Amino acid sequence: MLKPLADWLDDRTGSRRLLAAALDLRTTAAARWRNTIGPVFAILFVIEAFTGLLLMLAYSPSSSTAWGSVLYIDHALWMGWFIRGVHYFAGQAMVILGGLYLLRALWSRAYHRPREFNWWLGLILLFLAVSLSRTGHLLPWDQEGYWSTKIETNIAGGVPIAGPYVQKLVVGGDEYGNLTVTRFHAAHVVLLPVLLAVCLAAQIALGRRQAVAPPAGESTGTGSSWLEHALKNLVASLVVLAVVIGIVLARGGAELEAPADPTSGDYPARPDWYFLWLFQLLRIFPSELRLVATLVIPGAIVAVLFLIPLLDRLLPRGLAHVLACAVVVALLGGAGYLSWRALAVDAADAHYHAARQEADAARDRAIALARDPSAGVPPEGSTFLLRLDPLTRGRGVLEKKCLGCHVLDGKGQGEQTASDLARFGSREWLTGMLKDPASKTYFGAVAGAEGMVEWKRTSKLKPQELEQVVDFVALFPSIPDDLTPDEWLSRKEIADHPGLPLFHKDCGTCHVVEGLCEGGTRDAPGLFAWGSHRWIERMVRKPAALDRYGYLEPKHQMPPFAAEQVSSRDLEMVVRFLKGDYLKPAAPR
Amino acid sequence: MSRRDLLRRLVSICSAGLALPLAIPGLAYLLSPLKKGSGGSSYDALARLSDLKVGEPRAFAVIRDLRDAWVKYPRQPIGAVWLIRQPEGVDPPVVALTAECPHLGCAVALAADGKSFLCPCHNSVFGIDGKPQNAVSPRPMDPLDIQIAKGDDPEIRVKFERFRPQSDRRIPLA
Ligand code: FES
Repeated sequence: MLKPLADWLDDRTGSRRLLAAALDLRTTAAARWRNTIGPVFAILFVIEAFTGLLLMLAYSPSSSTAWGSVLYIDHALWMGWFIRGVHYFAGQAMVILGGLYLLRALWSRAYHRPREFNWWLGLILLFLAVSLSRTGHLLPWDQEGYWSTKIETNIAGGVPIAGPYVQKLVVGGDEYGNLTVTRFHAAHVVLLPVLLAVCLAAQIALGRRQAVAPPAGESTGTGSSWLEHALKNLVASLVVLAVVIGIVLARGGAELEAPADPTSGDYPARPDWYFLWLFQLLRIFPSELRLVATLVIPGAIVAVLFLIPLLDRLLPRGLAHVLACAVVVALLGGAGYLSWRALAVDAADAHYHAARQEADAARDRAIALARDPSAGVPPEGSTFLLRLDPLTRGRGVLEKKCLGCHVLDGKGQGEQTASDLARFGSREWLTGMLKDPASKTYFGAVAGAEGMVEWKRTSKLKPQELEQVVDFVALFPSIPDDLTPDEWLSRKEIADHPGLPLFHKDCGTCHVVEGLCEGGTRDAPGLFAWGSHRWIERMVRKPAALDRYGYLEPKHQMPPFAAEQVSSRDLEMVVRFLKGDYLKPAAPR
Repeated sequence: MSRRDLLRRLVSICSAGLALPLAIPGLAYLLSPLKKGSGGSSYDALARLSDLKVGEPRAFAVIRDLRDAWVKYPRQPIGAVWLIRQPEGVDPPVVALTAECPHLGCAVALAADGKSFLCPCHNSVFGIDGKPQNAVSPRPMDPLDIQIAKGDDPEIRVKFERFRPQSDRRIPLA
């Protein structure tokens, strides 16, 4: 059945001869393990192309969608985490094999005439493998990709004269955003892979030419059959793939940090392992010498590597080889030492650990929000996952702006001169306040706000009556923003509330609720819709208003926060945080 | 078995060992869209009875949170439904037809006469009861389940669903 079809195809197209030529299986060399590095590199490239194509089916290159689509790959698609994990770690394996290939070529002096081009192509292949890894790193548009790309492109931008222009072209402007993603994406999926494929093809063609017509003076060996070569290459590839898959399984796929947030303050960006030594160089070089770390040293290393085949001709035979090996061993040793230092310095750095912990928490929170059916990535983009999360953003704003005077669950950042905001507006807060207004949790720390304390001393409410007042006031925070006091009071369940007359009698002599009680006995804030969004908003924007705490001495008043200091969206986040209106984090396991 | 055959066999085994651990997860990955959705559509309140006049179909948007892969759009129109009030005494008093054409899924509009439906894509014509009036569509417009509470001006609640186009039977998607 198949044979006639193949015959027909061959007759019309000459397919068999084409195939035989493409596979050109004659060989003179003996099959050796050390010669499998190149073929394994090539097979890894095929694996990258395959998994990369799969990822492209779901990946969406823009600054608002990239992170969400990567999370979708990891969690919503069958085996998505595995495919992305293999893609990520096989890419790292390509970098390692590219390096091993060069080491082996150096050791066996395979840069020597007539193999100069094998050496140069090997260098270029390693460069391309690293570039693929670096461009791929940005694509999830998570904190890690964002900050390390920013650092790397800023380093490139520091090169005299051309640097700033190159940086602008690579980044797509001065700002990191959509154009950075689309450019890196184009480089990662088309430009670099095509270049790599071309170089790989050239490398293979060169290798073949030398195998069929071995350079003079090289033994032709016994020559192994192509099957032996194929088997060794396959076994070596299998071993590498097994290691890659082992890492993927052990780590549950590739990392995904919290979505990139250019405004986040404390993300501890660290480069991939193969750049750790450069990172450490940057840390130890003083600013005026930084070009030595970012340009001179790496540039010199690359230049020496490129020039090795030529040095080999200039220097007495053998000397260049010994020198080159010595230099490379020294470089590797130095890089290894620096990398180890980089890790050791981090390990001993408490601030790094704190920042890392914060980043982990942000990541877990972002992933939980994005995966929850009731939350999900907002249309504004993944950066807004956390900015629109009351628990993250609301709490953050509160800590920055409010905890200089207020405290949260007893914890503040300065001398406490205002109430504890934890659960402000809740029944619990209210009950506690009416029981013991003089506690520091409520008005104990507020100078000039003795009204409630005095009330407590003189109030004749029975416990059960107090309970009814609490019931009544606990309704205030949920009064909708578009309801006037009259409309609210005319609701049946309000008009008939048993707490209403008690409130009127006991609270209404000081507090104003329009249409219900006039106050007047002593100064007190207006209570209509107390604890609601609109009440808090007015308190934050105009604390000196007469219906808030304008009666306090100016130096005891809360400072106002205008929209420039706390945007209305941030204020909403704070209010929702105080009200507990957010996706509750899963209980820690 | 000769040494050559053994080698050949080993090469095949290794090739398979290399390809399968990637091909099988790759296939699963590709087939992900076939995953069962969490589905279970619910009823949405679209209108009140007083919004409708007998014999005058009106289109209403179904507003829901829309999940497009990883993005969640809060409260978006996800589809449209034609509501047609029936003459006095007919039960149920309202018929709901999805605006998605059973032919190939375009949005069905009201014809100029206001008394029939016309799909602008391939000119399917349907009567006000949803029956096809030419041979383009394989089946009538798809009726949707409806809930009408008691009371003088009840809410009309509709269970919005999608159906496979082109088939002559009504087969719910997902
Ligand atoms: S889609 Fe409506 S007629 Fe073809």
